[in-house]
Amino acid sequence: MRTGVVILGVVALALVVPRPVHAQFSLDARHIGMAGVSLGRDGSARRYNPAYRAVKNRSGGPGQARATIPIPLGLITFFQDHPPTHWGDDPMFNPDSAAFNPIELMNLVLNPPLFYELKQAPTPTNDIEFTIGKNQLILNLGKSRVLIPEQKFGLGMNGRLLDLGFGVGGVHFGVMGFMNYEIEVALDTALRRVLRDTVGVQPDSTYRILTDAVAQTGFMPTISFAHRLTHGKGAVGADSIENADDGLYIGGAVHYYLGATYARGVGPAGFTVGNPIFGAAPGVLLDARAQTSNKPFGTGVGGDVGVAWISGPFEVGFGINDLGAELTWSDTKIQRIQYDSAGDSISVTMTANHVETKTKLPISYLANAAIRMGTGTTVGGDVFNAGRHTVIHVGVEQRWGPFALRGGVARDQRKKMQFGFGAGIRMGSFGLDAGVFTHSNSLGDTRAMTLATSISVY
Amino acid sequence: MKAFAVALLVVVTACGQGHAIFNVDVYSFMQGTGKDTIPYFIPPATPTTVSTVQKITLPPGFGSSVVDSVRITTGSANLENTGGSGTIGFQLFFASDSAGTYTAPMALNIPATSVTGTQTVPVVITGDISGVVDSLFRQETVYMRIAATGTNSGATPVTGEGVMTALIIRVVLQDKVF
Repeated sequence: MRTGVVILGVVALALVVPRPVHAQFSLDARHIGMAGVSLGRDGSARRYNPAYRAVKNRSGGPGQARATIPIPLGLITFFQDHPPTHWGDDPMFNPDSAAFNPIELMNLVLNPPLFYELKQAPTPTNDIEFTIGKNQLILNLGKSRVLIPEQKFGLGMNGRLLDLGFGVGGVHFGVMGFMNYEIEVALDTALRRVLRDTVGVQPDSTYRILTDAVAQTGFMPTISFAHRLTHGKGAVGADSIENADDGLYIGGAVHYYLGATYARGVGPAGFTVGNPIFGAAPGVLLDARAQTSNKPFGTGVGGDVGVAWISGPFEVGFGINDLGAELTWSDTKIQRIQYDSAGDSISVTMTANHVETKTKLPISYLANAAIRMGTGTTVGGDVFNAGRHTVIHVGVEQRWGPFALRGGVARDQRKKMQFGFGAGIRMGSFGLDAGVFTHSNSLGDTRAMTLATSISVY
Repeated sequence: MKAFAVALLVVVTACGQGHAIFNVDVYSFMQGTGKDTIPYFIPPATPTTVSTVQKITLPPGFGSSVVDSVRITTGSANLENTGGSGTIGFQLFFASDSAGTYTAPMALNIPATSVTGTQTVPVVITGDISGVVDSLFRQETVYMRIAATGTNSGATPVTGEGVMTALIIRVVLQDKVF
């Protein structure tokens, strides 16, 4: 039963977690070989920059595939190691197993095993040691100390999960799904030193952790308009001025947000110790506030704007999303969660029910640029920020007839440099591509390296 | 206390597969309470046992865990003899309640040490107590009884006290806290 719950949880998390690492985690080996940058006008550009709806797709051209089919080599290895028929007994999924490691499971969620892992990030497996005395408490987390963040720790994602619709002229009608979560955890310096530096707990001291987490999801009917303001003289590869992409494009979109559900929790937690430390039971500090929607359909209005400029081999774009996106939830309950020292228990009391609350979606932006040289070289980059740390990708592709070589660097959400390289061969309407990339999507500080393979259909 | 212990458990759980090791400085809880001292008065030809009992509180939630080992890694006492000649040995008993320590099997036996006149004799108390007490150390509360058993082959009473100076128990668990 618990195994089933764990597997269900993994599946649910897998649907949610990869999105913040979208820039690093692509199904296209060509993107991966360039450390995550996309040189084509794929769905991401249109999703985050409405001006691109007026730009023609270059599909069929050199390096511009109509579709990409990932080759999931990693799944073969994964299912060999973890046959589904044995998941009930598999220590990976079975909490009853002595070898069950929640960190390993979380790393699986953060790194879906689609592609082949050349170098896996090590899972912390070590001994945790507590030294307990009347006036002494030392926690030695061993190798797991790397899991304790050095600074304020945040996880967040503001993603658009689908984009369905149709267009008439420059007007596009559609619906997008949105999912946003922000988790921010801040340990005070004293607690961080206890957990990370194995410094003993000091008598007469207080140790705190402050958490602010919000999650909301829903969908948004959208109407957008994109228009080509100017026409340029031509573009590389264009057979006529009419077919060239050159020009300045603008676009805008208005969304009516329909939130399905949301929850927010804010509050400090921690503990306080006396002198001596275990002279009396350490006091637990917990005074949090939780807000949850009783009913769906929080509503709000927001918009996107974007601009793109193409001139010969150059192309730049900039889109801003979710401007003014504030959702009003008409029926919310607010609860206070406190630690009751008298009963040594946690109490939950209703502060208010059926009240109106508001949430905001963070403003995100995507800036992209590319230059397509006549020599088969394409260089590009993008900067993406979804309300949290900025992710930067820079990549290059060199084509010689049917062959392609790729490389790139990226700065990920954790401000770590990542690298990618790859190659591909095109045979008629099909291409086979491979890309290797480093990433730090696991819990821990060590980089992993993954080999991605995919087939492109031109 | 329960909530604090649960917080410790969260740390153990969050840190992945491995062992949870608890070094419990039992002596620090005994020191200054009088329980660290075992006065003895052994009449001639009358073996006598005197005891002190100490409660040990452990984090909850390890009921399903596998106890790898329980060892007294550091332990010492001073036999501060004030008169007479005889021997003093220490025995350690563990149980889930205080009364049970008087019927529990002996977990550790420290061979008798000879004392005579006015002198202080140090005694080392260490040893592996795994096997005898494994199941107890998966519980939240364990009671430990230290018994001092004395013999007196002389004509005058053997008097003095055993004073604990250190006692650290190391418990190694394969943490299964779900």
